[in-house]
Amino acid sequence: MTQETTLDPFALWKNMYEKTEANLNDVIHETLQKEAFSEWLGNYQNAFLQYQSFVQKTTENYLKQINMPTREEISSVASLIINVEEKIENLDQKVEDELLTNPSTAEINKLKVSVSKLDKKMDQILKLLQQNEKKAPPVSSEVQK
Amino acid sequence: MIYDRTKEMEAWVDLIPEEMQKNYNRFKRVSEVLTKDPEPQVGQTPKEVIWTKNKAKLYRYQPAKAKTNKVPLLMVYALINKPYVLDLTPGKSLIEYLTDQGHDVYLLDWGTPGYEDRHMKLDDYVLDYIPRAVQKVLRTSGADEISVLGYCMGGTMTSIFAALHPELPIRNLIFLTSPFDFADLGLYTNWLDERYFNLDKMVDTLGIVPPETIDFGNKLLKPIANYVGPFVSLADHADNEEFIKGWTLLQKWVHDGIPFPGEAYRQWIGEFYQKNKLINDELVIRGHHVRLGSIKANILNIAAQHDHIATPKQVEALMDKVSSRDKTYHVMPAGHVSLLVGGGAVKRTYPTIENWLTEHSK
Repeated sequence: MTQETTLDPFALWKNMYEKTEANLNDVIHETLQKEAFSEWLGNYQNAFLQYQSFVQKTTENYLKQINMPTREEISSVASLIINVEEKIENLDQKVEDELLTNPSTAEINKLKVSVSKLDKKMDQILKLLQQNEKKAPPVSSEVQK
Repeated sequence: MIYDRTKEMEAWVDLIPEEMQKNYNRFKRVSEVLTKDPEPQVGQTPKEVIWTKNKAKLYRYQPAKAKTNKVPLLMVYALINKPYVLDLTPGKSLIEYLTDQGHDVYLLDWGTPGYEDRHMKLDDYVLDYIPRAVQKVLRTSGADEISVLGYCMGGTMTSIFAALHPELPIRNLIFLTSPFDFADLGLYTNWLDERYFNLDKMVDTLGIVPPETIDFGNKLLKPIANYVGPFVSLADHADNEEFIKGWTLLQKWVHDGIPFPGEAYRQWIGEFYQKNKLINDELVIRGHHVRLGSIKANILNIAAQHDHIATPKQVEALMDKVSSRDKTYHVMPAGHVSLLVGGGAVKRTYPTIENWLTEHSK
């Protein structure tokens, strides 16, 4: 009896990947850890930065010629906004600190309570005085008799 | 016309052997994922912005949810990629998990720096942003103490912040795959060798370092696994929609890089990768000497066993430097990203953090 099999390209590829990955990794790792690779990476980095620098300078000159703001100029505006925001933040912090730590609000509230108590007492005194006035006999008429 | 042809093709596929149909469907699904499927939604846990500064935003998560843990948690993200990896998708989100357990979670998102931020230094982040965010969290939550969680480079920054602010009420520090010792970095040590890697020229020319440069460096550590591996996995699991969902989410995050402010990059590579100043108590931030020994808060330090970006050796080095009495070091069976994303993260990382945090917030 023969077993019927169909071609499964993915399984084939995955199998190949799994078998070669570990070996390939070792080879690549060996290359990547060599000092020569670090040196090459450094050279590549320098060349890339040289190219970047050239592109940046060219773009900047072109933008200046056509009276358009450069990245530097736009970022300066953004910095100004950030600085203003920073000042608002500092003020916000001061206000918050003041509200939480300064006892003036509490003292004003205490004063308000004292004044209102005093006000009530004054009202009571006035009330009593008025009652006394009504109860007292008219002194002037007796004197005439 | 094209539709007719597609229909004809589909009808024809029905006639071919089952094995070949499977391969056709695999190819079709992979093409759809790579070309047609919309980008997945990320960072969906409800949040409110409670403070902003320049591009940075401080979020409070699930403000309407009851907070049963009295010590709030501030997450400090790295300057590489975007922070939604901490809140990837419902069911796979550290932030969602912790807020669901009653923690009051805040996240400091640095935002996307522009060319105008090229002068930003680590000094600015550590001394101007993080302390203010801590103050905001304490005031919003009404708590007396705070826990801070730093992810990757964000953890390194958090350690510097904590070392320079012993006066702040930091009760707990959690570090997730954060490098502290840069002595033996394998390939990085070779590539960033001062004799070949022209750091100053790079920063001076580019101003802000493009995300592709950082991504290239990370991927070059394991080029085949990073460049080919993901597509092999995708083709292999093309019939598994749950896998595809996770794959697209992760690929979105991996390729969603942000630029690195030039001056901060000069410090990060020069003073950490090239001179290893932090662990040797030689780092100076705006004139202040950084000594990790000044840290006294409780520490949970988590490393990933297969991490080649922040190796366990780099992470563990913190443990001998700090003065904390209560310090725990964990190595998880995961990689740099899978520590936070995927089934293993939900099963192991999230509960480990949650349990420790609850235990240390009583």
